[in-house]
Amino acid sequence: MMGSFIEVRDLTKIYHVGEQHVEALKGINLDIEESDFAVFMGHSGSGKTTLVSVIGGLTKPTGGTVRIEGVDIWSHDDKAISKFRNKKIGFCFQSFSLLPSLDVMNNIVMPLIFANGGKKDRDKIREKAVSMLRELDMVEKVAAFPSELSGGEQRRVAIVRALMNDPDIILADEPTGELDIRTEQEVIEIFRHINEEYKKTVIVVSHTLAWIEKAKKVFVMKDGVLYENVADPVTLLMGGC
Amino acid sequence: MGILKVALIELIRRPGRNGLIVLAIVIAVALLTSLSIVSDSANTTILEVITRTGHTLTVRPAGVSGNKGDNVSPGTVSSSDVVLGQYIPESAVPHIAKIYDEAIKTGWEKKGGLVSRPGIGEISIQPPTWAPRLYEKTDVDGIQTIVAGVDFYKEYFVRFWWDLSSGTWPEDSNRLRKAREDEAVLGGTFASVKGLTAGSSVTVKNKKFNVVGVLQETNSADDYMVFIPLGTAQKIFNKEGFVSLLSVRAMCPKCPVGDAMVELNKKVTGITSVSQLNIAEVQFEFFNMLYKFLLSIVLATLAVGFFSIFNTVTGALYSRVKEIGLLKSVGASRFQLLRLFLYQHLILGLLGGSVGFLAGVGMAYILNSLLDIGAIIRISTQYFWIALSLGVVCSLVAIFYPAYKLSRIKITETFRTQWEV
Repeated sequence: MMGSFIEVRDLTKIYHVGEQHVEALKGINLDIEESDFAVFMGHSGSGKTTLVSVIGGLTKPTGGTVRIEGVDIWSHDDKAISKFRNKKIGFCFQSFSLLPSLDVMNNIVMPLIFANGGKKDRDKIREKAVSMLRELDMVEKVAAFPSELSGGEQRRVAIVRALMNDPDIILADEPTGELDIRTEQEVIEIFRHINEEYKKTVIVVSHTLAWIEKAKKVFVMKDGVLYENVADPVTLLMGGC
Repeated sequence: MGILKVALIELIRRPGRNGLIVLAIVIAVALLTSLSIVSDSANTTILEVITRTGHTLTVRPAGVSGNKGDNVSPGTVSSSDVVLGQYIPESAVPHIAKIYDEAIKTGWEKKGGLVSRPGIGEISIQPPTWAPRLYEKTDVDGIQTIVAGVDFYKEYFVRFWWDLSSGTWPEDSNRLRKAREDEAVLGGTFASVKGLTAGSSVTVKNKKFNVVGVLQETNSADDYMVFIPLGTAQKIFNKEGFVSLLSVRAMCPKCPVGDAMVELNKKVTGITSVSQLNIAEVQFEFFNMLYKFLLSIVLATLAVGFFSIFNTVTGALYSRVKEIGLLKSVGASRFQLLRLFLYQHLILGLLGGSVGFLAGVGMAYILNSLLDIGAIIRISTQYFWIALSLGVVCSLVAIFYPAYKLSRIKITETFRTQWEV
């Protein structure tokens, strides 16, 4: 029988800080299906970012497995895991999501440079980038540099870049952090649109409760332990059971 | 857009820090290039002088140092023999010549040079030519200059590197034409200062001389002299039977002129004999010592400079840790990141090497002038390639370790402020 699209089993991560050992993930088990919209919530230090970075191939776990489409991603070497990140996952970060020395277009096509050296279908790639920028009402900023963009605009460019390689999974860490409420709603709407229209699996890490009503699955992380199908995540986050 | 283009854009967008790295490379490359150019040029110039005058030996009155050109300078190797107020009687010349001949013969025998060799036979030594000179300082058309009384035939034979820029030689090598007593040849600089050419005239001690030829500049004291026939000079300066200098050109390959010099200085009183080869060898040694000394200083400076390049490069790279994390997160592999940094530093190295080469050439001219080396600066493409290679190697060596380290950094470490535990 086929497993889930993303299947996490007995995942542990221990950070060694001097003499101290911090257990960030305590045997996590998790299933996310294709085209799911999953939100991970939790306090700072709860382990949610660690969990998502392990799923995204950014942080190597101490134990356990992460299978995506049945393949244990952490059994790969650096080259293969780089390729996996490049092809399968689009990342959006809260801050420093764009290279300051490159303009919007070059920031967007960057994943393709590392995928194929930027040589294949150059015109098609640029067309795709322009069309996606147009969809997010950003086409006039194509030649702008990150320093010339607002926080919301930077976030939208990062989203376009995340989609450029047509990845199966979009992984976003606090994509609405440091944004005003109106821009926050716009960004959340973009992610919902990506999930529903492009059928991408969206995984978001956030403190913002506004994500809850848009997500198909809400997970709460607390002290390295994952709570799934929480009826009242707010209460849990506030310290209840 | 490929990795190379990303590398190029990144360089252009960070002119400050990259400019500092290029500057450090330029200084390193320029220092070594200029030193190499000056040293090689000085050595080449000395070698040329050795080739040109190597078998020439001069004899001058003892206890007198040269008035001009005693400083070590490859361009003036043959000019440290201008002696004023001291003379050698012409009657001593046969004795001097005899000792010289004997010393050359003995020297050759010691080397086995005169021994019959199978298939070659005995190597013969042609009789040498002794060229006498009488120097006097006097007013020539309003300029205090040195007038040299010479035997034009012998002079032309001994100083075979001379060339005329205009006119003719008063007495040709076949002696078909004999120099007249009122004919003069001018040194190149003297002629150009006075605006004289062949056909002009000069007055020495109230006697008018017709200028029949002007010498090309030889970068020696000869350039400032007026040459008139020896007999005339002896007459007008009341120095009949005396000369100031004797020059002899040895007529055998690799003649042991050094041996002859030693013998003359030992056996003839009242004279000092100097081998031009000897002077050149001393100069050669001096420049090699100077080069080694300067090179050691430059290398010590470069060692310090390299750490400064290394620090700047490392600082520049570590300031980009977050970018590196971002690049890795969008799929850049370690090798691709390494390529990106190496491309950037290859470009910086090429730029630094090229500019360093140009700066080095400029510095070589300045160094040559400041140290009064007098070498003829020669620039060959070899220096350019060496400078370029040095720039690239410096740049790549400085970047390799930090780039290697950072290409292996964990992505989450690069986002420490963002990716929380």
